Amino acid sequence: MNLPKATHPTRREFSERMAQRGQGSDFAVFESDIGYSTYSYLFGDKFPERYFNLGIAEVSTMAAAAGMASSGRPVFVCGYGVFLTMRALEIVRSFVCYPNLDVKILSSHGGVTAAIDGVTHQATEDIAFMTTLPNMKVLCPCDGVSAQAAFDLALDHPGPVFTRLMRDPLYSLYPEGAEFRLGGSHTVREGGDITLAAYGDMVFETLEAADRLEAEGITAKVMDLYSLKPLDFEGIEAAAMATGALLVIENHQERNGIGAFVGDALARKGLCLPFDHIGLKDTGLRPLCFEHC
Amino acid sequence: MKNRIERLEALARELRFHIVDMVYKAQSGHCGGSLSSADIVTALYFDIMNLDPANPRWPGRDRFVLSKGHACPVQYGALAMKGYFPIQELGTLRRLHSRLQGHPVAGKLPGIEITTGSLGVGFCEGIGMALDAKLRKEAWRMWILLGDGELDEGSVWEAAQAGAKYSLDTVTAIVDRNGLQNDGFCDDIMPMRSVAEKFRAFGWNTLEIDGHDMAAVVAALEEAKKIHGVPTCIVANTVKGKGVSFMENKRDWHGKPPNEAQYAIAVAELKAEAVR
Repeated sequence: MNLPKATHPTRREFSERMAQRGQGSDFAVFESDIGYSTYSYLFGDKFPERYFNLGIAEVSTMAAAAGMASSGRPVFVCGYGVFLTMRALEIVRSFVCYPNLDVKILSSHGGVTAAIDGVTHQATEDIAFMTTLPNMKVLCPCDGVSAQAAFDLALDHPGPVFTRLMRDPLYSLYPEGAEFRLGGSHTVREGGDITLAAYGDMVFETLEAADRLEAEGITAKVMDLYSLKPLDFEGIEAAAMATGALLVIENHQERNGIGAFVGDALARKGLCLPFDHIGLKDTGLRPLCFEHC
Repeated sequence: MKNRIERLEALARELRFHIVDMVYKAQSGHCGGSLSSADIVTALYFDIMNLDPANPRWPGRDRFVLSKGHACPVQYGALAMKGYFPIQELGTLRRLHSRLQGHPVAGKLPGIEITTGSLGVGFCEGIGMALDAKLRKEAWRMWILLGDGELDEGSVWEAAQAGAKYSLDTVTAIVDRNGLQNDGFCDDIMPMRSVAEKFRAFGWNTLEIDGHDMAAVVAALEEAKKIHGVPTCIVANTVKGKGVSFMENKRDWHGKPPNEAQYAIAVAELKAEAVR
């Protein structure tokens, strides 16, 4: 994999686009007091009258966002994924998704990639929760261009959208102007022996793995599933059938993640091919001290 | 003023009849907390709030959020009496395909602003709605009815802080302080001490009234409109099950329907009250 290192994490790219799009749109931004971490302050500095820091209070922040959105104004709620999708889950379900209100969730620190912050800050079940909720759309961009595009997809879709973003800067994959859509995916490497489908930071791990496979004489097609709901199952199916095998890789619990969803969809269609998926196996990230103490 | 209060008292009696009647017909629902808040809700819908039932989404309307959503019979009754939908529809409460769900759901019934029922949430939603009005520079008022048991929820106090921070003086929260919650007396379940002092400490203007004294209810709601710079909380001391003797101040009438004999007694009592 020969990609340039990214200068900013996806959380920052998303928020930079939020600050740009603030002009000409009347959306509001609600922050649960980690604005310097989600970079939502970039919007707040430009549009202070539409920026509300409601304190370290995810439940009331999410419910107040539902209240504001009930008038038709889109509201972006910003915070760490583990708090917004778990502490405030019931609010997202009953008061955002069921009434189909225009609340968007900027969810930082997705997956175990936030490892140095510890298990309390790692959202490793967020995709299961969010993809399960009616009306909710779920995105997970992997680089700066796709993170900015994810903001546009979220704002331009009338209804709830959850975007998983990463804590750390990774790589730049897409050229400026690359196109993204709800329900879309991109093939980011061609190959004929197996399809490897990933999202978020796992796209880069997967490209790395494809390099190693190539050294062993196996060519892998790599797909970036940046739109997790709706998911481009047709694209996945076509790639899997063309290459004859499918592996889904995700930074999430194996249970009820995208791999499990894809497996279920394959079985329902009666498609039989070598298939597996990789994620956390019913565990969190094990603290290193258990192994070394 | 006397005619104004007497008219409202008569409407409150009619509303109490509808509450008991619809819960009896549904054989499910919450009489106690609906009856305790009937005077407050009557004053709001028939005197205080700026509404147009023929145009339920009129942008300039006052908003009412029933944060104690289980008491929806009181709101459904008031909406039907105001002409938002036919009175007969009250008989569909809690039935399959009815617009009158067991807790209020947005987008079904005219006059329901937002989904509530999960306690501690409607209050936060109301704060968010008022923030939006402030952004739009709209002058309509936000009226939120909370239960006292509901104050156990931490989210209420999160949103109370936000209401004070943003000086939401268009917001009036009314606490139906009937002293009972699902499992018993509030002060046994989770002692809450002075509700008014708590809201004052959170930066709210507070008033404390007898929630069944219609003149006091109207005066307090009028007073709240005049306050600038801070939101107002009215602690309305009430009796759970008010108006039906055997329901008054009884824990087990929180969420139980009357049987045929009890229904007959309740209706007789409410009618006798009307004649007196």
